[in-house]
Amino acid sequence: MGVIHTEHFLRLLLLLAGALCFAAASTASHADEPDAAIAAHAQLLAVTVCGTCHGTRGNSMHPKFPRLAGQSANYLAAQLKAFRGQTRGDPDAVGYMWGMAAVLDDATIDALASYYSKQKPEPSPRGNAALIARGREVYEHGVESEGVPACGACHGPDGHGVADFPRLASQHAQYLLKQLASFQSNMRNVAVMHGVAQNLRLHEMQAVAAYVEAAP
Amino acid sequence: MRHKKLLRAATLVVVTALAATPTAFAVPSFARQTGMACEACHTVYPELTHFGRVFKASGYLLVNLKQVRDVSGKKEELLELAQTPALSIMAQVSYSQLKTALPDLANTTLPGVAQNGTAGFPQQLGIFYAGKIAPHFGAWFQLTYSNASGSLSIDNSDLRFADTMALPDAKSLAYGVSLNNNPTVQDLWNSTPAFGFPYASSNATVSPLAAAQIDGRLGQNIAGLTAYALWNESLYAELGGYRSAKQGAANALTGAAGPLDGTASNVIEGIAPYWRVAYEHNWDRHSIEVGAYGADFKLLPGGNSTTPVPLRGPFNRFKDVAEDLQYQFVTDDHQFTVAGTHIHEAMSLDASFASLASANPSNTLTTTRAWATYYYRRHVGGTLGFFSTTGSVDTGLYGPTPAGGAGVISSANGSPDTRGWIAEVNYLPWLNVKLSAQYVSYTKFNGAGTNYDGVGRSASDNNALYLLLWFAY
Repeated sequence: MGVIHTEHFLRLLLLLAGALCFAAASTASHADEPDAAIAAHAQLLAVTVCGTCHGTRGNSMHPKFPRLAGQSANYLAAQLKAFRGQTRGDPDAVGYMWGMAAVLDDATIDALASYYSKQKPEPSPRGNAALIARGREVYEHGVESEGVPACGACHGPDGHGVADFPRLASQHAQYLLKQLASFQSNMRNVAVMHGVAQNLRLHEMQAVAAYVEAAP
Repeated sequence: MRHKKLLRAATLVVVTALAATPTAFAVPSFARQTGMACEACHTVYPELTHFGRVFKASGYLLVNLKQVRDVSGKKEELLELAQTPALSIMAQVSYSQLKTALPDLANTTLPGVAQNGTAGFPQQLGIFYAGKIAPHFGAWFQLTYSNASGSLSIDNSDLRFADTMALPDAKSLAYGVSLNNNPTVQDLWNSTPAFGFPYASSNATVSPLAAAQIDGRLGQNIAGLTAYALWNESLYAELGGYRSAKQGAANALTGAAGPLDGTASNVIEGIAPYWRVAYEHNWDRHSIEVGAYGADFKLLPGGNSTTPVPLRGPFNRFKDVAEDLQYQFVTDDHQFTVAGTHIHEAMSLDASFASLASANPSNTLTTTRAWATYYYRRHVGGTLGFFSTTGSVDTGLYGPTPAGGAGVISSANGSPDTRGWIAEVNYLPWLNVKLSAQYVSYTKFNGAGTNYDGVGRSASDNNALYLLLWFAY
């Protein structure tokens, strides 16, 4: 009897463990896909609040406000959390986004990030061809003499972003320039990008921003 | 350091000379509520950006503050209060100097003039509740102390019940109703009268006789309910009506606030309709708006407490139709705006003509205003504006100086025509503190350039320098 009981007990334990693993797995898969109600709320926020600056589908028109369509969800969520925590300190982050993100909860942040990551980026207008060609050099090969690595090494050869490294393609050149300046001055305190940007000269930044903006 | 030096110098000028102004609007409580800097909603206050216009249309409801909440068992929102009240204080301190001093009415036998150079401390002091009240209820509510009245009274106010929805094609629709006390105070663009240029002006100088009713004549003494919709942050339409809501009036029989009787003047007969359409297009750093608005006021002349006139019989009708235009170019470094409006008023003066208060049974009045504003980094800037009013000659409405009178507020030829320029320079050491120097120059005043009042005053005598310290917290 004692043996049978033990066996039953072990089976029960296994079943329970299996059920727990299944539950954990389902929760994990749900974490990637926001709850339908939260997703709907995020979409309403995106269209009626965020969209005023960033465009309702994340293709902003004003170069002050970054394009979010097709951006990496992880990157977007990390930025919103940095705004909320007031740890991203470039001027427009302070003036606009610290407030906007102040009371967003994690679930809404994830849902907003998911919404924008699924939007289709629209092509940006092309700038000066010579500038773009110079920018391509910097993007693909870096500036060896100044110790600047190739942007494409992290952001992907097409600028579409890799893992948590953000998408840059079709981003407003003016926005990119302001971010590079903020990395340089450490107002936006990101060690990797400070290292990259500190040796970039203004004309190189302008060129690479023009190239990236024109990239589809 | 440089800012501090400039500020000290400018403060010295303003405080020693002194300065100030009228109707005002700059509300840091919105910044507290949204957590966003002034520049999100304003180029430089009170001019709105696209974001500011959408915020207004959405009912002043965007809140990024923790809320005190209550919900029912059916998930109804019963309460949603920001933990910080949406209060603001605004002050204007000013100094006004006319080119030529005004006659002193206290001494009619010996020629004398009133003291020239008026310090307004304050010209105005305003207390605002500006922000969300409940989930779909927002307010811009303003009480103002003015040195002219020496008392606190209601100023431009706008209560909104609003919501914004997302349409299937990722377009937004903001809609709601506005309960307000001045036509166009609820408008989204700065090209219309209530929030148009000049944003501040002296209350110690001379104003021309004529202005259209929709151009601020009825503000704070009427109440309007209008319904509006803003589609895709671009197409705007609004329709509603106004009725008299007199301040300081009492029923002669009961002493109560109403019903209005013959001791009240210019009382709206029935409900005056108001309408507005506008289209805004935004691209790159640019924004352009074209629109039209109007109202139809039937006013019973009424009387006052000493000579009441029954509120019945013929009325005066003012049909106002106006067009407006606004262009903005906004970057971090440069903010450039061109705006203007053209207001046409057709008057049918059955009541005034019958009582001989007007010389004609019908008149027209046309006002044009246009201005261009530039700011560098929202710190230093200026505006150059043009204004013109022309209209029918009416020796009743725009009467001559009576025999032995002092003139100034009169027209020798019965014409309302007035024309001139306003130049203004501004310095903002911080985004909620503005120092201004404004000069108003008239080439024509109440019908003429020289001797417009028949007793020797020229239009340019009314030119005025106005220094202003204007801040809000």
